[in-house]
Amino acid sequence: MPRSLWNGTITFGAVAVPVKLHSAVDNQTVRFHEVHLRDGARIEHRRFCSKEDREVPREEVVKGAEVSRGRWVVVDQDEIDAAAGSRAHVVDVEHFVDAAAIDPVFYDRAYFLGAGDGGADAYRLLHDALERTGRAAIGRFTFHNREYLAAIRPYDGVLALHTMRFADELVPAGDLDVPGTRHAPEDREVEMAGRLVASLHERFRPERLHDEYREAVLGAIERKARGEEIEAPAQPEAEEHDDLLAALQASLDDHGGGTRRKKARA
Amino acid sequence: MARAVWTGSLSFGLVNVPVALLSATRDLDVHFHQLHEPDGARIELRRFCAEEDVEVPLDELGHAYELDSGEQVVLTDEDLDAVAPERTRTIDIEAFVDLDEIDPILFDHPYWLVPTGESEGPLRAYRLLVETMGRTDRVALGRFVLRTKEYLVAVRVRDGALALTTMLFADEVRATEDIDAGGRKPARAQLDQAVALVEALSADWDPGAYEDRYRRRLQEVVRRKGKGQPVEAPEPEQEPAPASDLMAALKASLDDLRGGGASRPAGALEDLTRDELYERAQDEDVPGRSSMTKDELVAALSHRT
Repeated sequence: MPRSLWNGTITFGAVAVPVKLHSAVDNQTVRFHEVHLRDGARIEHRRFCSKEDREVPREEVVKGAEVSRGRWVVVDQDEIDAAAGSRAHVVDVEHFVDAAAIDPVFYDRAYFLGAGDGGADAYRLLHDALERTGRAAIGRFTFHNREYLAAIRPYDGVLALHTMRFADELVPAGDLDVPGTRHAPEDREVEMAGRLVASLHERFRPERLHDEYREAVLGAIERKARGEEIEAPAQPEAEEHDDLLAALQASLDDHGGGTRRKKARA
Repeated sequence: MARAVWTGSLSFGLVNVPVALLSATRDLDVHFHQLHEPDGARIELRRFCAEEDVEVPLDELGHAYELDSGEQVVLTDEDLDAVAPERTRTIDIEAFVDLDEIDPILFDHPYWLVPTGESEGPLRAYRLLVETMGRTDRVALGRFVLRTKEYLVAVRVRDGALALTTMLFADEVRATEDIDAGGRKPARAQLDQAVALVEALSADWDPGAYEDRYRRRLQEVVRRKGKGQPVEAPEPEQEPAPASDLMAALKASLDDLRGGGASRPAGALEDLTRDELYERAQDEDVPGRSSMTKDELVAALSHRT
């Protein structure tokens, strides 16, 4: 059983469901640490006072928030933690919503919930009720001294918990500066683009998509370890088509576009 | 408008649209910085070579990777740039899929894509993608490299613009087989009761209705501290015990919603969480509030209204 990050209870009505929180994501990015190129020695990050230009010991460092330009308020960790909210290990469900109505932009970090001690049946019941109704539970919980809005939904036979973004944290499309065009796309262009989209349409199979970059980085590390030079492959310049119709036509003639042609060459 | 985190081109067949990537989130958190206590000046982090004890300029930084043998391999910025140069400049659309086939667990960070440049061709191509993809619930899948990580991305239309979301690769989502999936399948009558309770507690998804209370409380902490007022933390609440009789708990909840809901006025103190009650108590300056239980807070507050 994987280690749990947090143990607590989901509550709704008079029902309490003990749960264990586990991470759902396993970041696979190739990790490097910083070294000095001249001698390969580790880089240390040292704290300097910007005014005195000297290194300062850790015990002289405090946390501050800038309340107005140049005016700082020093706050200690206990005071920051006081904002955490209820420290009870509870996900307090406010209500249930149609899971399909939640735009995925609201989902932030994902976790899995496992059944907690003494709550196996309640866990299964909540899972099955959510699955049957297509609903997600929306509630709040405190994790690492910070309160989050969370959505709980069925995923692959277990419950997944997503921390949620707040609506005011999302930039609305209206704030974007998208220049207008003189002419709307012509019917013929829309029709051809539609055909191109249809020709590239497929079922989503995430397991077939690999992080090729990660593989390329690991390959580069291997070559470097053997003492080889790492050279960039020659790159064709992207063609600029100002004639949209011609580009669409050429893509369709290509049976689905340059992607496939490039793949065949690689 | 927000600063672009990346600029390049979105390529769709032989159609290339120069675009800028903007974050679709804004950071509203209260931020803390390190300060030097004696003089209140900002702390700067400087890079030092652990061996030579000298400050290291950025162009002398290398990226070390430790092999299984323990041997260290050092790559330069140039080496990393050479790994997949095309992907750092182009988001290549590989396929179109249906949005509802993508489980949202794969979605990572949301961005907006906006066209750059003034020339009519690329602007029309952007508009064309918006129109074509907006008609169907199709999502374009592509990939690109941002700051030494390759991302799978989903591009779709939201509110008349192209929205891009970075995605996790399938092998970055853990398997659920080791997660304790609970007990046996519930009996039909029990599931019916649970479904009835879920439906009774249902509402429309209204994202604007939720406030980041943590952000507000943290701003309040900083405000009080700035005025020299004390900051006190509420006492932790007790964790409820799981009901020994699940069916009885379901019934009691439903009865409470049906019966109690009618007799109790909307917005009654009893319906608030202890947290919300505590905040009211703070507003009303109720003495001894930090050690009160939920019931005690309700009692103390009801005397005042």
